[in-house]
Amino acid sequence: MATTSEAPVLDVRGEICPYPMLRTNRELDDVRPGVAELRVITDHPPALSTIPPEAMKRGYGCEISERRSGEWEIRIFSAEGAAD
Amino acid sequence: MLRKLVGYDNISRVTALLAPRRTVDRFTVAGLLAIAGLAAVYLFALRVDAAWPVFWVAGVAFGIVSQRSRFCFVAGFRDLFLMRQGRMMRGILAGLAAGSIGFAMIMATVVPNAGSGVLPADAHILPLGIATVFGGLLFGFGMVLSGGCVSGSLYRMGEGYVGSWIAIAGVLLGLYGLNRTWNWWWDHQISSDRISWLPTDLTYTGAVAVTLALFALAFFAVSWWERGAFRGMSFVVPVTSASAAPPPPSTSPSGLWRRLFREEWTPLAGGLALAAVNIVLFIRYRPLGVVGELSRWSADLGATLGAGVGELKGISDIPGCVPQFVEGTWFTDAFMLNVGIVAGAFTAALLAREFRPRVPRGPRRYVQSLAGGLVMGYGAGLGLGCTLGAFFSAIPSLALNGWFYAAALAVGAYAGTAFIRRFP
Repeated sequence: MATTSEAPVLDVRGEICPYPMLRTNRELDDVRPGVAELRVITDHPPALSTIPPEAMKRGYGCEISERRSGEWEIRIFSAEGAAD
Repeated sequence: MLRKLVGYDNISRVTALLAPRRTVDRFTVAGLLAIAGLAAVYLFALRVDAAWPVFWVAGVAFGIVSQRSRFCFVAGFRDLFLMRQGRMMRGILAGLAAGSIGFAMIMATVVPNAGSGVLPADAHILPLGIATVFGGLLFGFGMVLSGGCVSGSLYRMGEGYVGSWIAIAGVLLGLYGLNRTWNWWWDHQISSDRISWLPTDLTYTGAVAVTLALFALAFFAVSWWERGAFRGMSFVVPVTSASAAPPPPSTSPSGLWRRLFREEWTPLAGGLALAAVNIVLFIRYRPLGVVGELSRWSADLGATLGAGVGELKGISDIPGCVPQFVEGTWFTDAFMLNVGIVAGAFTAALLAREFRPRVPRGPRRYVQSLAGGLVMGYGAGLGLGCTLGAFFSAIPSLALNGWFYAAALAVGAYAGTAFIRRFP
């Protein structure tokens, strides 16, 4: 995995819909506006189909990887960070 | 690194692409044990009562389909308001449409002349009035607050969500409260409410045509509301090193297994499969519904603790989700259905390698689950069902109460969405 270790991490494990998506949006919009990369950790599978579309509406790219059974990392990156 | 581009419409394939594909691990072993458990209960049920195995299989099927498609009535309503996303609502509409056609055929067999004044027994044709609307409003609000409706919380109990166990406890409390106040509602409202069954005036053909036309309208309204906001979206899913080999073609046996138990199903497939379960259960016994049995649990638990709910007026005249008390036993066919949902989802979650205990983040979420469940339980008792019994089984029963309940659900869910936006 080509994730940069210094990228900020948002851990939303334990949260269920719609909070993983709402908290990711708030992170992108208010807490870290214009952030180049954000890694979101979730154990709520439905969030895998709600977070990426919302991030992409904001012009980000998305990459999902499985950390372990029932736990995923969504890497959200700005367009220039996409080519690795 | 091997990468795969996944489009928005195929978003559901994501989890499967990611899951490592070691052939045997602790999830496989636990999954096979769970299947053996499901089979053992089935064999036991066969010896007890003719209805039990049917309800058990229906419950297990419901749990598996819901887990695999992440079917969620809450998401159907809430995501329309929160993100203008209509994916789940389109799945619900497809399920309602298939269910309506199936239910109409069943009812036309039981009562060939729809205008005769005789109603098909067991169809969810319910008293329509203030209680329907008020119940739907409460239910819609409560389900968004707790993050799952009643059937949704049942199947998520099996997936390991601790919050869903709390929510169902709230539902039981809410239903207990409703039962304590039921006779007031019966005397002042429900006993004088009329029922309204579309085929009485429209015939079966007309009622089905009107119902399907309304679904088509709702479908286009949802798509207009979404305005193609998600069209053409796709994102990159790296295939992890554990699964670097390309997946086997889906026609091979392992490919079929993979499609069913590893890849997520689309909401559309989920909605159609749930409609099939509903139709089969109605052919054999009665439509899907889980609230009547939960209501009985709450009443019986109350009685065990020395605070019974007493006689509930009029419930023997109402079909659908009212408590059915069976003298001398705690175990009924409806018990098999409800427990089957939890067991089916548990098994499917193990096979998908997705089961894990999920503990809510902080005390606020526990309060939210319990309060949401409480409001939802009271609403479900008052509205004579949840998103299953008073909506997913009532609209296909071609009964007007289903549509009023649906509208109230939408308004309640809108209020709930507005509330949680301000409740981080």
